[in-house]
Amino acid sequence: MSNVNAVVFTIVVVLFVLVTFIGFAAARWRRAEDMLHLNEWGLGGRSYGTFIGWFLLGGDLYTAYTFIAVPALVFGSGSIGFFAVSYTIMVFPIAFIFLPRLWSICRVHNYITPADFIRGRYGSRGLGLATAFTGILSLMPYIALQLVGIQAVLTVMGVATSSTNTYVKDTPLFVAFVVLAVYTYVSGLRAPAAISFVKDTLIYVFVLVAVFYIPTRLGGWSHIFGAAQTHMAAINPTTKEPNGTFIPTTKSIGSTQFDFATLALGSALALFIYPHTITGALATKRRDVVKRNMALLPAYSVLLACIALFGYMAIADKTTAAEVKKAGNTQLAVPYLLQHMFPSWFTGIAFAGIIIGALVPAAIMAIASANLFTRNIFKEFFKPDATPRLETRVSQWASLVIKFGALAFAVWLPHTFAINLQLLGGVWILQIFPMLVFGLYTRWFHRWALLAGWATGMIYGTIAAYNVHNATSSHWASSSDIVFGHSVYVGFTAFVLNLIVTVVLTVVFNALKVPAGTDETLPHQYTADPEGAPVAAPAGVGAVSD
Amino acid sequence: MTEPTATPAPRDPLDSAPPRPQNPVLAHPVTSAVIGVLVAAAILGTLIVPIYAHITPKLGDFPFFYWYQLIYMPAVAVVLWTAMLLQRRLRRPDDAGTADTAGDPVPGGAR
Repeated sequence: MSNVNAVVFTIVVVLFVLVTFIGFAAARWRRAEDMLHLNEWGLGGRSYGTFIGWFLLGGDLYTAYTFIAVPALVFGSGSIGFFAVSYTIMVFPIAFIFLPRLWSICRVHNYITPADFIRGRYGSRGLGLATAFTGILSLMPYIALQLVGIQAVLTVMGVATSSTNTYVKDTPLFVAFVVLAVYTYVSGLRAPAAISFVKDTLIYVFVLVAVFYIPTRLGGWSHIFGAAQTHMAAINPTTKEPNGTFIPTTKSIGSTQFDFATLALGSALALFIYPHTITGALATKRRDVVKRNMALLPAYSVLLACIALFGYMAIADKTTAAEVKKAGNTQLAVPYLLQHMFPSWFTGIAFAGIIIGALVPAAIMAIASANLFTRNIFKEFFKPDATPRLETRVSQWASLVIKFGALAFAVWLPHTFAINLQLLGGVWILQIFPMLVFGLYTRWFHRWALLAGWATGMIYGTIAAYNVHNATSSHWASSSDIVFGHSVYVGFTAFVLNLIVTVVLTVVFNALKVPAGTDETLPHQYTADPEGAPVAAPAGVGAVSD
Repeated sequence: MTEPTATPAPRDPLDSAPPRPQNPVLAHPVTSAVIGVLVAAAILGTLIVPIYAHITPKLGDFPFFYWYQLIYMPAVAVVLWTAMLLQRRLRRPDDAGTADTAGDPVPGGAR
């Protein structure tokens, strides 16, 4: 720990202690009469208005890993990294279309997870299980990556490099995570909701200061863009190709416009299918709160765009670029850049922002996975008569198990493994889109056709992502493979295949009159906007379809 | 049922009977169309990459590709807020003053 800067370290520790205090105190925030109910522990009482909802969703969607990985991609490959900017723009109009309907139906029927809705809509426990399975599978590596984000910061701070022993090396990470796991267990969604205020404030402050201040140190934007353009056009000695692209190209292979668009669209379609974002959305109290937030959250995307530009600043700053190259890890680009550009006290604030920025989504992801396990696996298949009290207890314990699973993931497995799995997570979660989003509008799709389409997309996506290779690696080289001579996002191809299988088999199953299952939802419930907290879903009112 | 809604008699979701005249979308075809166009434009403006994959015209030192995306964010915020306000006008006359049955941006499937 010899090269640890005392000022940076102290500020990070103080802010971490503050956040820990808030996390535990949150259990008493807007306290309900009966806290042992999943609506309370898992959804914060479904009571948040526009203001808290904005902070919660903002803290939930824009994860610390995004803040590390997006500029890392921009630093390494240039303009293709800006797909994340494009995607966080188009995600809001897309969610604006379907998310209010999902909110309404979940509110009326007291659904807590997306799998609850799918089970109720199609009368299929199997489809609910497929959703829960996909959700948990996709979230585990995502939680692990939040830890990878924390590790990147700790490495640059100098606290993670002092020993070769895993246990000693990662002690700060263990401490941070155990504390997080305990207050999430105690306070449920209230903890990340309260902490998101600290996270969002810190991130806003440090990004806005950085984006105006750093260019003055680097000779202005013209120099930053100039350096980036020159660097991207230069030929890489290993691959014999340019380092990257400064603008997406019109060629058919590589960082093309088509690749950019499919990456952005695929990611945008997936974002509000992820169980943790749905958890955040269902915690709001009115239908209009969801809509208002779709209009207000682009304000957070501006931050992401600024952070993406940090990648170019790291190229323009020769010291940072050299250090990142020496470490051989582009993920250190932003932490190194901040460390070089700012005085210690401000670096401390920025690093604390990134670390706390990892804790908020990690907590919500663990809660979302725990709810999926409790509602759609434990209650559905093992204990159908579980009381709300037991459900909450099971969820609390499940959140602990999931967190420690993710911790093991981040500490003992190579980071590339977590990164590859998170890439796959995006591909996997997209395969739920047809049953979830199309299901909000129509029951035309047959449940078994949806299941077959889902399986097709999962299998194709996994194999295709594994097989992507380039000059430097034989597998997992990027998230795009080549289809009909064009670079396309793997998840997008898998999604299209999923749709084709679903449509064809729906026609077949409907022609064969295979039973379509009972639909417990009613058309007008998709636009309902009940004011009070939901009561238990009325039994036996479902209209039978087909 | 306890849901505060004006829609009568639950029907089969596959119901293809002609919508009643009080269908908010049919009652306000122009407003609905405007909402549809606004939301579609917000998506397509970033989805169609050839629109903005250029270096020029620059804004200050920012190449077009970069400043276009930065400007597009507040634009999307304004567009979605407008769409939300317009949706309030889709409410059926008998629900005026309540927030319970706001219209839906997409006509298909909505009653």
